[in-house]
Amino acid sequence: MTVGADLKQCLATIKSIEAGLSALAINTNAADEQKLFHEQMLTMEEIKHDLMQRIGEVEREEEQYKGF
Amino acid sequence: MPGWLEVVVRGVLFLFVLFLTTKLLGKKQLSELSFFEYVSGITIGSIAAEVMMGLENNIWHGIIGVAIFAVLPFFVEILSLHSKTVRDVVEGKGTVLIKDGKILEDNLKKEKYTTDELLQLLRGKDVFQADEVEYAILEADGKLSVMLKKDNRPITRKDLDLPSINEKEPHTIIMDGEIFDEKLASAGKNRAWLKTELAKQNVTIENVFLGQVDSSGQLTIDVFDDKIEVPKPQDKPLLLANMKKCQADLELFALATESEKAKRLYASNAKKLQESMDVLSPHLKG
Repeated sequence: MTVGADLKQCLATIKSIEAGLSALAINTNAADEQKLFHEQMLTMEEIKHDLMQRIGEVEREEEQYKGF
Repeated sequence: MPGWLEVVVRGVLFLFVLFLTTKLLGKKQLSELSFFEYVSGITIGSIAAEVMMGLENNIWHGIIGVAIFAVLPFFVEILSLHSKTVRDVVEGKGTVLIKDGKILEDNLKKEKYTTDELLQLLRGKDVFQADEVEYAILEADGKLSVMLKKDNRPITRKDLDLPSINEKEPHTIIMDGEIFDEKLASAGKNRAWLKTELAKQNVTIENVFLGQVDSSGQLTIDVFDDKIEVPKPQDKPLLLANMKKCQADLELFALATESEKAKRLYASNAKKLQESMDVLSPHLKG
């Protein structure tokens, strides 16, 4: 797999983790657990933004990585 | 009235009287914690049996007898609620049998317990060597309460310096294929959620013998048909595995890239993910 594909797969996994954490935060009854899951979800969002930015750079440098 | 019919009538009547008496005295009577409860429990039963079977006895005398042993302990109990002195006299105090890891022979003798009996009580508490006990007290109801030495106590999260987790009690929402809406509501869920969760596990509600929700909102079920294997909830372990994978990926990217800026970006994000994993893993395991 190319670097571009690898990066995009990683981004997809991060997105799935974020969604999973969000679901856990909604489902749990304990308030502190809810808060914890929510905070970590925000961390995932930061990582997601960084990754998306990097993917943008890579796509600009290497035309063939474009797509999806 | 023929004899057999009288036995039936008395039996039903006394069952009713005993039921009312126990209701009046409450759960405490059933636990037989103190002298009064122990004695009144035995006596009430004996009176009831005696009057029921001995037809020559007056039935009202029997009921009066039961009432005395119900009402007197009731008032003593109210009295002992308000006064520690009364409580100590009536309900008795515990006797310390082991202190600072040493058996107090005098107290043992005072309570007329032999060494064998002490060992038997200790074994009942899963203690086979008296040396493991720091402190043991013989309670007023004859049970032994044991505090083990710190070294022999089961390890806890605190011992391991693990972060504390506040877990709430699970709610039983399905029994014998029947949904309990009240329990469902106290778990903060509704029927639509339950339907989705059951569909996820591929079972119908009629098939579920027992269903419980834990504090993190996971549904665990037991089905009538024991041949069906119900999948265990995998959301949390899967999430943790995904995080581990992503963290490893990011570290790999950091090593592979030649751009200094990108390297730093990957490394910092890998670190963030690692930190996040560290705080989440106690909650995501099991």
